[in-house]
Amino acid sequence: MKIIVDVGDMKVSRNGDELVTHALGSCLGLTLWDPVAKVGGLLHAMLPLSKINPEKAQENPYMFVDTGVPALFQAFYQLGGKKERAVIKAAGCGAPLGDDKIFKIGERNLVVLKKLLWKNNLLLAAEDTGGTESRTVYFDISTGTVMIQSAGNKRVL
Amino acid sequence: MITKEKLERLIRELPSPPQNALRILNVLRTPDAGAEEVEKALRYDPGLTAGVLKMANSAYFGLPQRIGSIKQAVVLLGWKRISDLVMVSCMNSVMDRSVEGYDMEKGELWRHSVAVSVTSEVLAKELNIQGVDEIFTASLLHDIGKILLGMEVKEQIKNPNLFFEGNQSFDSVEKEYIGLDHAEAGAEILSRWGLPERTINAVRFHHKPDDSPYPDNMLDILHISDALCIMMGFTAGKEGLKYQPSLNAVKRLSLSQLTMEKAATYTMEKMNQLLNV
Repeated sequence: MKIIVDVGDMKVSRNGDELVTHALGSCLGLTLWDPVAKVGGLLHAMLPLSKINPEKAQENPYMFVDTGVPALFQAFYQLGGKKERAVIKAAGCGAPLGDDKIFKIGERNLVVLKKLLWKNNLLLAAEDTGGTESRTVYFDISTGTVMIQSAGNKRVL
Repeated sequence: MITKEKLERLIRELPSPPQNALRILNVLRTPDAGAEEVEKALRYDPGLTAGVLKMANSAYFGLPQRIGSIKQAVVLLGWKRISDLVMVSCMNSVMDRSVEGYDMEKGELWRHSVAVSVTSEVLAKELNIQGVDEIFTASLLHDIGKILLGMEVKEQIKNPNLFFEGNQSFDSVEKEYIGLDHAEAGAEILSRWGLPERTINAVRFHHKPDDSPYPDNMLDILHISDALCIMMGFTAGKEGLKYQPSLNAVKRLSLSQLTMEKAATYTMEKMNQLLNV
């Protein structure tokens, strides 16, 4: 089954399903996969830190990287995924043209993610991040294949 | 390159010109038009009336009582609000479609347009900026030029990769290849439709607010809100993030990172409320 993950949302699923999220701009798309349990999850987080709107974070932790990533791991564990087998891939975190700091939301999303992973002794297996592309992620839970589509071309992550 | 004649023809050929929207907006723009007159104008369009009432009753406005008539809606929400809702109802049929040339699927342009409209309103409120009454309509219509330009892109651009994958800002690519960008095309459409000058100007300069002949908070908010929505996944086409947001607009609005990011957290919720999703 194809399951769509909306902006500021997360879904976990089992063997046989495909998780899809559209139009990652500066947002972070994070996939987690356990090749043995054949379970996986996909997060589409918008902003780096929940402190800008704690009320919203309470209501929807997936909107922010700092609350969404732990929530994704929790849901992944509940489905039988194991931390030591987790294959983690990141996509998105782009930016518009120019160097203005205020618009570097994507870069900050990636920094917050990496800090979280580092603190937990985890590393990214692959990433397709930065630039001005808008990316769509197709994540096949059966095989763990993460496909990135942007501006008409498709590639495996 | 597009000729003047071709542009006029494309504007005339645009899908289902929103006659009702224009008629009703004219009534609304007449200062002494009463609620009854609006009701009369809407009475001959039951679908439109139903759409407007549905939105007026949505969680977006959070009214304590249920609105049963347009007259009541005008009293409770005011002229401006009703004209916004008429605009949403009328433009849905024009803008909720796929856009050839830009490879936008059905719904993508509409979703982006509504996202920018609600984000602009949130930003105006957060920044406590008054006197931007046309911001909702200007935001809703800011990318309408893409419908027109898309036809030309499909016809003229032989190598879409070159067109979409460069490193320049996309509006300048459009201008180079076609002779005008989608913001200018949008402004041309809206001037034919008789929209207020300030709205047309905001649409024309929504990617280049520093080039506007006069400074306008409404334009600056639209510019930021558009950039923010594209970044947040409410995209507007194959070009992705290839636009340069103006730091001057940020300064003119005294916009902080916190305020900007906070506004983005409300976009989805407000959109869903307004469209009753």
